[in-house]
Amino acid sequence: MDLHRVRRLAGVLIASQLRSGRSTSDPESFFGTPGFLAVIDTAAFAGAALLAWLAVRVSGLPTAAWAQLVGPLLPFLPLVGLSVVLVAGTMFELTATVRFSGSDAAHWLPLDPSEYAMASATAIAFSYSPSIALALGGVLPVAFVSGTFVPYLVAAGLSVVALLQGGLVIEIVRAVGQRAGAVAASRGGRATLVVRAALLILVILAVQLAFNPVVLLAVVHDLASVLIVTAIVPFLWSTQTVFDVLRGDPWLALAFGAGQVAFLGVLVDLAGWARARYWVPAGSEADVGPVRFAAGHPWFSAAGLSAPESAVAAKDLKGFVRRREMMPTLVVPVVFVVLIFLEGGSLGALGVVLWLGWIVGFFGLILATTSVGQERRSLQLLLATPITPRGLHRAKVAAVLVPVLIASVLVGAAVGVYFGFDPVHALALVAISATAGVELTLWGLVFAARYSDFQDRPRPQFLRPSGMLAATASGTVLLFAFLVPAAFALAATGMTAIVAGLVATAIAVGFGVLSIVWSRSGFEALFRELPF
Amino acid sequence: MAGPLAPLPSGPDESPDLAALEVEGISKTYGSVRALTDVSLSVRTGRIVGLLGPNGAGKSTTMKAVLGLVRPDAGRIRLFGQDVAADPPRAKQQIGYVPESPALYEFLTGAEYLDFVADMYGLDAATRTPRIQQFLAGFELAGHEGSLISGYSQGMKQKVALIAALVHRPRLLVLDEPLNGLDPRAARVTKDLLRNLASHEGVAVLFSTHVLEIAQAICDQVVILSRGTVLASGTMEALRARAGLAGSGLEDVFLSLTGTGDLGDVVAALAR
Repeated sequence: MDLHRVRRLAGVLIASQLRSGRSTSDPESFFGTPGFLAVIDTAAFAGAALLAWLAVRVSGLPTAAWAQLVGPLLPFLPLVGLSVVLVAGTMFELTATVRFSGSDAAHWLPLDPSEYAMASATAIAFSYSPSIALALGGVLPVAFVSGTFVPYLVAAGLSVVALLQGGLVIEIVRAVGQRAGAVAASRGGRATLVVRAALLILVILAVQLAFNPVVLLAVVHDLASVLIVTAIVPFLWSTQTVFDVLRGDPWLALAFGAGQVAFLGVLVDLAGWARARYWVPAGSEADVGPVRFAAGHPWFSAAGLSAPESAVAAKDLKGFVRRREMMPTLVVPVVFVVLIFLEGGSLGALGVVLWLGWIVGFFGLILATTSVGQERRSLQLLLATPITPRGLHRAKVAAVLVPVLIASVLVGAAVGVYFGFDPVHALALVAISATAGVELTLWGLVFAARYSDFQDRPRPQFLRPSGMLAATASGTVLLFAFLVPAAFALAATGMTAIVAGLVATAIAVGFGVLSIVWSRSGFEALFRELPF
Repeated sequence: MAGPLAPLPSGPDESPDLAALEVEGISKTYGSVRALTDVSLSVRTGRIVGLLGPNGAGKSTTMKAVLGLVRPDAGRIRLFGQDVAADPPRAKQQIGYVPESPALYEFLTGAEYLDFVADMYGLDAATRTPRIQQFLAGFELAGHEGSLISGYSQGMKQKVALIAALVHRPRLLVLDEPLNGLDPRAARVTKDLLRNLASHEGVAVLFSTHVLEIAQAICDQVVILSRGTVLASGTMEALRARAGLAGSGLEDVFLSLTGTGDLGDVVAALAR
């Protein structure tokens, strides 16, 4: 393996992510170089260390107390890195746009598969390194005062190894997934697309739940005391190494530590092998099924949409299940719904209403805010057709409301049954969550019309960060302004319930009308000139 | 399956002298960059006008302005006598457009995309089906229409973009380098089709290309843009006369008019 080539390629892959879509930015800008990430790492590390040091100074706790705190924490530091890379990696790397994940630009170069895998894993690890820099910075002062600096250094080193391991696992899954996708595509059939999407969602969901830091730490904490378990799971050897250093068993620590580094080598070979064995160029032709030309879409037409509006809405719905980059949007609410069922016992009826309304509302907000940006460069062709701004607005509302309303009915009913709501309250729960979904859908379009990002990126963001921030902050306020009185209306009885219900309705209607007016004016502006 | 491309059913009865497109003194500035300065051109029904110019000359910006995708800072654009800004959807209904780099919805199949476009232009099923099938056969895409566009080659995508621009039988075609990536047969089909549409159906065509032989072969008139301004316009003969290159090809005329004619030193330096 030529490490110089690996380093050069990793640098290009990182720069490609940082610079993608910045058509107007200066290519010489420092913000588009790996050095920028290094500065973020350093700032995150130093900032967290400073805050932790201040906390140590202010608290005045004795050394023993800090040792008690940091002792159980240090062994899990490497797992934090692994967890972050796997959770974020499956979410964003596996769902990257085909054109970017295809990496065809590098295929013609005289690269060994292992070199590419290592370079890509390094780029992935570096992309998510600020999280581990934050964790390491936060623990440093505590480790220093508690006399566990040496175990800290071991944990820090193994955290870097864990980051790379996570990146390599992503590379292996990506290579295998690419082949699986190509095989599925070669079999053809319309169902293939749904199955392919469902499998990707399942993989992401499984990793999201399995490597969710809360779940992971709970499981590992229970297992870590059992040496036999950590001994047979290589990903836990880092944890075991730090445990052994803390316990003063250097030989066992050395064995597990060396094993962990050796396992990294095995993963490099495995990733190279997987790439050589399974990788196929992106974009193989997939026959989806019999061809039928038909005008219009009866369901949308019945809802009052014109032919062009129906066409856009139907096209967007196909995009939801066929576009890999849309998968995170579909997975995140599912993760939260699963958490409702896991944690629901402690929430209470009021909490369930707020939690469910929040999930459905934010599902609507995310779908709506991304609904215009996901047109990307195709917006040029869309705006060249005779659709009107108001027509496009109606189409986007319809396209988002279909999944949002389906989700609110299905999840609302399931939650209602699971938590023993009577039929009337279960129905009210569905109505509240559906209203929350509609409200934030309309609100999200206000931002979609103004802040959409149409640039092609490996990890598309569809909405500019400033827009996402503004939409999330204002959406949260708006959502809870409606949900709190609505939840009270559900939980209370008599006059209180009626008043709370009226307040919730007034808020929903008022903001709904405002959202429609503002989003329509945004769509008018969008049509005035192509935004790229 | 329908046979190869036949002439389309006859369109509206256009008067040969009717101005289909009139661009009158449009200017456009992006920040500090002046993209267009007082650009004027016209395309009459049944005529093919070639828009030529070096990279960055303003050809795509002009075409986008015709579509209403770019809003000129000054000037006016009329389509069949109507200001396009007055009723953009009505204007767009009459235009077929192929952008420089068509970004199609890659998660749709070719057939789904063309069905989507037909819906956008309000074509009923009875009209769209034979027309799309005819185009698919003519461009040798039949058999691939059920596949996702993401798996298409660049040439196949370009063919889909061309069909999408033609399927609603527009009265004006705005084609930004429409032959990009096409195989020789498809390029020939496209050129012959444009000539056919112009001469028999009265379709007006505004056409940009860097391949000057193509422009010379099919354009009735040529407009040469450079740095956002119209450098010259007229028939081939008029341009030759202006350049003082009677009997020369369009390439020599173009290089002479755009001031990029003396390339000997550049080539010699590159060959070293």
